[in-house]
Amino acid sequence: MSVRRLRNLLLVLIATVTLILYGCSDEDPTSTSSAGFAGLGQDVDGFQDAGSNSSLTFPADHSAHPDYRIEWWYLTANLEDESGEPLGLQWTLFRQALMAPSKRPEPTPWAADQLWMAHMALSQGEQHQVAERFGRSHSQAQLNTTQNSQAGVVANPFHAWLDDWQLKANDEADNRDFDNLTLTAYSGEGDTRFGYSLTLTAEGPLVLHGNGGFSQKAANGQGSMYYSQPFWQIEGDVTLNGETKTVSGRGWLDREWSSQLLDARQSGWDWFSIHLEDGHKLMAFRLRGGGDDTDQAQGADYRSGTWITPEGQATSLANSDITLTPQATSAVAGRDVPTRWRLEVPSAGLDMTIEAPHANRWMTTSVPYWEGEVVVTDHASGEPLGEGYLEMTGY
Amino acid sequence: MTRVLSTLLSHYRRHPGQLVMLLLGLWVASALWSGIQAINATARDSYARADALFDTQLDQLERRDGAPLTRGEYYALRQAGLPVSPMLEGEVVTQAGTRLTLIGIDPLTLSSDNAMAQANTSASLSDFLTPPWQTRAAPDALAALGVARENASGATPTLADGNTLPPLVLAPALPPDTLIMDISAAARLLESGDEITRIVAAPWALAEAPSGFILTRATTLASPGQLTESFHLNLTALGLLAWVVGLFIVQAALGLALEQRLGMLRTLRVLGVSGRSLVVALCLELILLGLIGALAGIASGVWLARVLLPDVAATLGSLYGAGVGQELNLPWHYWVGGLAVSLGGLLLAGSGVLWRAARLNMLELGQMQAWRGGYRRQLTLMSISGALALSVALALYGWLRFQPPGDGLVAGFGLIAALLLASALWLPPFLALVLKVLTHLAQRRPLIHWAMADMQLQLPRLSLAMMALLIALATNLGVGSMVGGFRLTFLDWLDQRLVAPLYLNAPSEQYADIDVWLADRPEVFERLLTRRSDATLQATITPDGSRALGTPIELYGITPGESLTPHWPLLAIQQDRSSAWAAFSDGAIFVNEQLATAENLAPGDRLTLSAPGANETLTIAAIYPDYGNPRGQVLMASPQLAARFNAPPSSMGLVLNDNANVDAMRAALRERFDLGSDALSDQAEIKRIATEIFERTFTITRALNVLTLAVAALALFASLLAQARNRRQQLAPLWALGVPRAQLAQLNLAQLGGAALVTGLLAVPLGIAITWGLVAIINVAAFGWRLPLYLFPWEMAITLATAVGVALLAAALPTLRFWRASPRALLAEEANQ
Repeated sequence: MSVRRLRNLLLVLIATVTLILYGCSDEDPTSTSSAGFAGLGQDVDGFQDAGSNSSLTFPADHSAHPDYRIEWWYLTANLEDESGEPLGLQWTLFRQALMAPSKRPEPTPWAADQLWMAHMALSQGEQHQVAERFGRSHSQAQLNTTQNSQAGVVANPFHAWLDDWQLKANDEADNRDFDNLTLTAYSGEGDTRFGYSLTLTAEGPLVLHGNGGFSQKAANGQGSMYYSQPFWQIEGDVTLNGETKTVSGRGWLDREWSSQLLDARQSGWDWFSIHLEDGHKLMAFRLRGGGDDTDQAQGADYRSGTWITPEGQATSLANSDITLTPQATSAVAGRDVPTRWRLEVPSAGLDMTIEAPHANRWMTTSVPYWEGEVVVTDHASGEPLGEGYLEMTGY
Repeated sequence: MTRVLSTLLSHYRRHPGQLVMLLLGLWVASALWSGIQAINATARDSYARADALFDTQLDQLERRDGAPLTRGEYYALRQAGLPVSPMLEGEVVTQAGTRLTLIGIDPLTLSSDNAMAQANTSASLSDFLTPPWQTRAAPDALAALGVARENASGATPTLADGNTLPPLVLAPALPPDTLIMDISAAARLLESGDEITRIVAAPWALAEAPSGFILTRATTLASPGQLTESFHLNLTALGLLAWVVGLFIVQAALGLALEQRLGMLRTLRVLGVSGRSLVVALCLELILLGLIGALAGIASGVWLARVLLPDVAATLGSLYGAGVGQELNLPWHYWVGGLAVSLGGLLLAGSGVLWRAARLNMLELGQMQAWRGGYRRQLTLMSISGALALSVALALYGWLRFQPPGDGLVAGFGLIAALLLASALWLPPFLALVLKVLTHLAQRRPLIHWAMADMQLQLPRLSLAMMALLIALATNLGVGSMVGGFRLTFLDWLDQRLVAPLYLNAPSEQYADIDVWLADRPEVFERLLTRRSDATLQATITPDGSRALGTPIELYGITPGESLTPHWPLLAIQQDRSSAWAAFSDGAIFVNEQLATAENLAPGDRLTLSAPGANETLTIAAIYPDYGNPRGQVLMASPQLAARFNAPPSSMGLVLNDNANVDAMRAALRERFDLGSDALSDQAEIKRIATEIFERTFTITRALNVLTLAVAALALFASLLAQARNRRQQLAPLWALGVPRAQLAQLNLAQLGGAALVTGLLAVPLGIAITWGLVAIINVAAFGWRLPLYLFPWEMAITLATAVGVALLAAALPTLRFWRASPRALLAEEANQ
């Protein structure tokens, strides 16, 4: 879930500040925020608030929501190359409003009210390549074209871009809008060049999380608008170390926006997106802290999730439906990060071990976090059940 | 040891004058040296800040067709995956009238290891990017903005046009006179709309230029540091000279202090103090005095630098366009270095004293005659060293002759230094020889004979001071002639180039209309349209072969007509002037002397020039002088420049008929084309500004020159004062023999005046040699232009008079003392003998 994205937002803010104004800083960005991870627990002041009475309309909601503080378009994929070697990738576009809607500057040249950040990662075996970009835009509608803005997202036809990193409706497909997309992103030169050029085909419907798309993130009612497309079939080319390979596999796209995603007491999260071999999908997350409605500085964990049938029928999972236990940690980038988990959802008959085959999936971006491929096995028998992606922040 | 030291130091209690002289020498030497070093350090810091900023550290993209860059193009480049960043650059005028450079950046795409990024403040990115935005400025810029340092943070100064700057944030790492803000805030202030000044990228981030663009690598952009290097070398050389001359004073004072303490030293040795402890004690004394003198000197040096800095900054700004902060900015090594140089100099000056103290003969009597014997040996040594220094000078000269002109700045300074040293070393042997001859000639006239013999006795003490005087006089003369010659040449050259009474500076799109309008005016005799554009010198083709380059140069277009061609100065042409001008009108080029020197070009060579949309190979028809321009320039006929390089008009000179009314013309033009008050300027006004820039350039040179001469006078004065007591001993017997006091006093003054006159006469040819070295070697290497050698007999006469005047002045006080001494005192001296 999107919590990870939240930190990214913070990452935007703090990162850009540290990165750009102070040069590189080794400071732990999480320690500078007193309001949840990456400032994602800030008050709503002046922004629109995500609530259970909000509803989703498509294709309009695929585009940006500048009246909300933060937003992202988040794709992860479990692929394999021609020789069957597994390969993981991530592409994310984050948006953050620089000010409340009432305080936006006139749309003079270069004036911006939205800050954009994009991350890409490509992983195979022990290799893990990461890149990051920044951009700005003004939210006034007529400015949102590639000729007028460095970054932006428009709905129909769908187009999300930051420079040459672009996720857009596939011109060549019989375009059912959001069901056929292409993704292109490259970074570096020569031997260090990496990136991908992929086609994405949806093999199932969009899935709304929580209550009609409102996903609660803390016991006090804090939350975000959240939907996913977990049924992507992906084909295309990836380039790693200047070498290009043909790949195919499954992808998961998350869309989420909010003005206050986290409870101020929440320090980080662990988020899972799982593709099971029988066609089911599972999304589950744990927010560390904020799990009860008390004033305690460090509340209990808050868990939530969605169980999705192969046809796309979604069932929300509440705090009590999910048991999530870290079972082993690995030392990554000077920290201990849990890389083996036990996830139990008794209502769906699940008791799984989830393990990251490669622990070095640390994202060395301006706000760092862990994001990588996982394999899923039956906890009791050890039989393979599926694969997915895990994101962990605040470690 | 303490007791030995305090005994030694007690000497100064009895002779405070010597202590003052010693400290004065140290103070002067280290003040001048450290003052100049402070100026250099501050200037370097400013250049480093400017270098670290964008221009010289980033590759730049321009459109091949020369059209301005737009926002749309920038987005298109980003969407093609190129790591480029937009930049806006313009000028804003403060209410006080100062022009500041305003740079608008996009911190989100500018490579983050750039200095701008490190112009660190406590503000967040979001404050930088969003209203009311922020203005980053170095503390040096506050004065121009009219903001006091203590309430600078957050201040929002108003500009001359009534706009308000975003709140200030101080960023000491920025260059002076530069304001930095987000590109959106800069776009509003500069009203730049969708245009951007440049598109930049981190060095070598782009493998090649995208199609339709020209890529200029950071390394080919000249940095202010490189341009101004020679200027600072000049300053350093002058500082070094002052330091050497200051050390002469120290040497004289120390020698005297030792001489007078010889008796005390012997007594101490006899009392059982070892030679080694004596030397250690003397060393301690030197270090103690050195520390006091050096600290005082450095403090005054900083003061001196503060006084001179505005002139230096103005000079560098007008000569090279390099911004230098008005505030001193001194790194720690400046202080340590200054101290080390002063103490090092002191030990150097004191080494002779220590050497003699270490070899002190306990039994030897302090006899002048014995001294003189030692001095003979010294004279021989000086002659040999002088010959060595001269052969170094000759060797350097020989080497320089085989270098291409424009090389060998350091060797040029070396040559001058060796020449000065050789002359200084030969001065005492020469004076001794002159005295010997004169003594011989004056055998029939006892008093004069005595005076000559006496002078030979004084020579050992005086020789160092005379050497200092010689160096100071020669340098003064050399630098003075160079500046004077430059001034004549420069004014002449200005007259030749500024032939029109009125110059027009209008927006470039207006020239076509103005030209049409002027063509019908009967009072306009000729319209001299100039054009300019930047280009790259891609290659030179000479009889020796062709050479690929990538040097940025300036293209300048003039209108060769009746008014301009007869006067325009040319240095080298292939046949005659008229054929050079004819070729010029047909598309040949002239190159300025700087470019010809730097690339070793001659008329007949060919240059390949490229600019947006054009690439031409053209023949050089002539070389012309272009004083004051740090860049290489290629001159073309205006119509040719427009046709080949599409260069926009930059100004127009209006030559009017004899009876035309300049003021009426000016008023008519202004009204017809709605021109601003600064669009039209007189010839007189332009000359005044140019001359002002020129005068400022040499203010510092002159100031340092005068200071050096003053130091030399002090050195002479110190030496004379030092031997005043001895002089009385020498003169008293003559007085007792019946020579009147007045005659003795005159004799005394004549002795010194004569010595100074000889020194001054020697300084004249030496000064001419220095002038030659400056105009023929150093200026060519430093600035790229060679000046004709001008000599100023009147200045030489003044120099001679100064030498004699300084000597007489220095001699006056001791003579006055002798004059006023009571007969009893003189008799007492006699008795002492």
